[in-house]
Amino acid sequence: MTEIFRILIAPLVWFVSFSAIYGLHGVLCETGPGAFEGWPVQRVVLISPVLLAIALQVVNLWMLYQPRFTAPAGLLRFVSRAGGWTGLVATVWTLFPVVALSACT
Amino acid sequence: MRALERHRKLSAIWASETGFRGWFSTVNHNDLGRMFLFTAFLFFIIGGLLAMLIRVQLATPHSAFAGPEIYNQIFTMHGTVMMFLFAIPTFEGLAIYLLPKLLGTRDLAFPRLTAYGFWCYAFGGTMLIVAMVFGIAPDGGWFMYPPLSSAIHSPGINADFWLIGITFVEISAIAAAVEITVSVLKYRAPGMSLEKMPIFAWYALVTALMILTGFPPLILGSVLLELERAFGLPFFQADLGGDSLLWQHLFWLFGHPEVYIIFLPAAGVISTVLPVMCRTTLLGYGWIVSAALALAFLSFGLWVHHMFTTGIPHLGLAFFSAASTLVAVPTGVQIFAWIGTMWKGRPELHLPMLHILGFFVTFVIGGLTGVMVAVVPFDWQAHDTAFITAHLHYVLFGGFVFPIFAGIYYWLPHFTGRRQFFRLGELAFALVFSGFHITFLAMHWAGLLGQRRRISAYAPEDGWTTINLISSVGSFILAIGIAMILIDVLLHVFTARRSRRNPWNASTLEWAMITPAPAYTFASLPQVSSRDPLAREPELATTLARGEGFLGTPRDGLRETLAVDSASGRPEMHVLYPANTRLPIIMSAVTGLFFLSLLLKFYWIVPLALAGVIVLAWKWVRSLGLRDDPAMQPVGHDLNLPSSATVERAPGWWGSVFLLTANGTFFAALLFGFAFLWTVAPGWPPPVWFTPSVAELALGVAGAVIAPLAMRRAIRRNRAGDAPLFSVLIALSGSAVLGIACAALMLRAPAPTEHAYGSTLLVLGGYGLFHAIIAALMGGFLARQIRCGYTSAKRRAAFPIVALWVKYTSITGAIILLAAHLSGMLS
Repeated sequence: MTEIFRILIAPLVWFVSFSAIYGLHGVLCETGPGAFEGWPVQRVVLISPVLLAIALQVVNLWMLYQPRFTAPAGLLRFVSRAGGWTGLVATVWTLFPVVALSACT
Repeated sequence: MRALERHRKLSAIWASETGFRGWFSTVNHNDLGRMFLFTAFLFFIIGGLLAMLIRVQLATPHSAFAGPEIYNQIFTMHGTVMMFLFAIPTFEGLAIYLLPKLLGTRDLAFPRLTAYGFWCYAFGGTMLIVAMVFGIAPDGGWFMYPPLSSAIHSPGINADFWLIGITFVEISAIAAAVEITVSVLKYRAPGMSLEKMPIFAWYALVTALMILTGFPPLILGSVLLELERAFGLPFFQADLGGDSLLWQHLFWLFGHPEVYIIFLPAAGVISTVLPVMCRTTLLGYGWIVSAALALAFLSFGLWVHHMFTTGIPHLGLAFFSAASTLVAVPTGVQIFAWIGTMWKGRPELHLPMLHILGFFVTFVIGGLTGVMVAVVPFDWQAHDTAFITAHLHYVLFGGFVFPIFAGIYYWLPHFTGRRQFFRLGELAFALVFSGFHITFLAMHWAGLLGQRRRISAYAPEDGWTTINLISSVGSFILAIGIAMILIDVLLHVFTARRSRRNPWNASTLEWAMITPAPAYTFASLPQVSSRDPLAREPELATTLARGEGFLGTPRDGLRETLAVDSASGRPEMHVLYPANTRLPIIMSAVTGLFFLSLLLKFYWIVPLALAGVIVLAWKWVRSLGLRDDPAMQPVGHDLNLPSSATVERAPGWWGSVFLLTANGTFFAALLFGFAFLWTVAPGWPPPVWFTPSVAELALGVAGAVIAPLAMRRAIRRNRAGDAPLFSVLIALSGSAVLGIACAALMLRAPAPTEHAYGSTLLVLGGYGLFHAIIAALMGGFLARQIRCGYTSAKRRAAFPIVALWVKYTSITGAIILLAAHLSGMLS
């Protein structure tokens, strides 16, 4: 099961963070507008979990390259690292709109 | 023992009853795989005939062929039949038939569950077709959007047939998914590590996991919509705190992964067949496995791209547009790996290869139009036009039907033991390919000119007449091609000459046996040391027939196999399968009675049917008990293994883990629905909040904490040889107390027909109560097993299974009570 876990962890973290941030976005937009240092509050609150999700993916990927945590050599190591890269790229790409777009229009 | 004598003995042990009676009692994967595929293709023919009716209707303007009411039923049933009764069951049938052979084992993990799943599918599908014959078929589109499908706008029984029939059929999908997951992870030939697993098994594993997490949101949506229609609980009624958008979220949480659930098994067929047709090995095995996994995950982040026109904020659109474009990357990785495989090999244009080439052309076009509709401004223009219908047919026909035809022609000699005789298949392929592209290229065009989906008529001045006529002519060419394929297959089955074993010179294990496959599959189980075992050992089939593998000596009329460690493939336990039984068909009939009584509003039958299911389930598991401690079992090659009844993680434990994964997704979708309605739906806050009770909350949470702790103690005491009965009874009582707290929540919930808040609390409480009853029943069963001497310190497999269910019940029950009482306190 550890091998399966290593393969699935990064895409799972992406899916959870993607869904959670989409849900948070819905909740924040329902609570009404506000501003913090000239930025809409919703945007400030949304960017924090995006950064956290990216940090989690980077740490996971780093661990997958450490001898202590990595899978035995061969297919499982390759697939788990590919999963790690998938998680990181998917997190950056799909959550990038939080940084680039306004929150609730 | 000689090979022939071994064959006779094993056949006597594993064979189904002779004649048609065998259909009803078989639990053998060979029979059930064939039955699944046969039934799925019957439904395919029905779905195809409905498609022809659609094209007849649209061939001319102002067509009077069918009125709007009938036409609505036709297109709804076409989509429903193809998606739920053909595509998914075809995957199930293929996987059920092939997986044990590819994995080097004798059957799937839970043979009776396979049979139960088949009968649920057959009965549920028949229910829908009978409705169509009587003119009361569903008519709200295959996605059944409320408010159109609500009782106000769709009175009558049509929509109920869809909601209840599809839920019944989905039991089959969940059963097959549990079966496939456990089989791939645990039931493999000794030595077959995950690295050496055939590529189709990877795809089957990923698809099964997707079914377990993708189908529950739709089951939940169907339950909620049926509750609204039958009892007036307003989950999707905006004026009473509901929201029809909740249905769209739940439906597409299932619906988009569904596309990949259909595509991935077909990709597994291509990855298996293509290297054989190209006389080489698969290029980029690791890349393909990684791409399939990535595709599976990313497909769960796309569901809102079906809802781009519902008015969601731009940020939401951007999230899902980005995810929709990203999903093209792993798809592209697979396509390039297949092209690379062809490049490095020597492609031979046999019939399966023609269909694979058909797949390439068609699926790539479908994928590219998919990227077009992932771009929001284009989607706003094309949404709900014939362009989308054309796109989805390119994806599904290209991504599923062509590969499945390739698979049928590839494995037909395995099914029949014969080789292709007539050359009808090549002509049939040419007709299917050209007919398909004429039909659906034209449909893209009609869509871009503004033709809406699902319209029953159009005017000559719309300018779509010629295009629709071309499309209809193309569809008839396509239908003739498919009819010729069916004739070709029948001719093959009944008239073709005997084939030699392994006619394609393939390297996978399914060809290491006589064909058609014997009931026992392998006379002895192989030791696998390579991903291409037959390439490494061309004489493997003979070696296995001589009994030189594992379990080569039939014993005491027992159906034996091995289970292995999921990663390394090291033999782990000795497993005994159940014999033929009619229990699965009876249980699915009683399950069907439950659904039918709900459908026909004979509510007095519902508790009787439920009691029947409980009694049969009890009988089902009772037969698994052993009176004496089993010894270590010799399995050949000087290896002795423990019985599966004596291990902590028996097959039943693994099955429970994956069933609870599906159940957990259902629960998460229910919580999502609650949060969605609370935060997004109009008509909130509700007029009356739930009155919290600290006593009820404390009692329920206490029960939730005590039950798993007591089960843990029971496991420890049993392992130490002490009496575990008292601890099991405490656990049972804890679950009962939790159930009482959930029942109290249901009774005290604000009027459920007046606001979605009360309805949601009622459903949450019902979910908690239902699981508390299951946990209590399991605890009661375990207590009985202990009292009757069916457990011991060694025979301990049942304890962790019950503990798992009790733990799940406690966690979900506590969350339900907290969600309900805290919502009341916060108000």
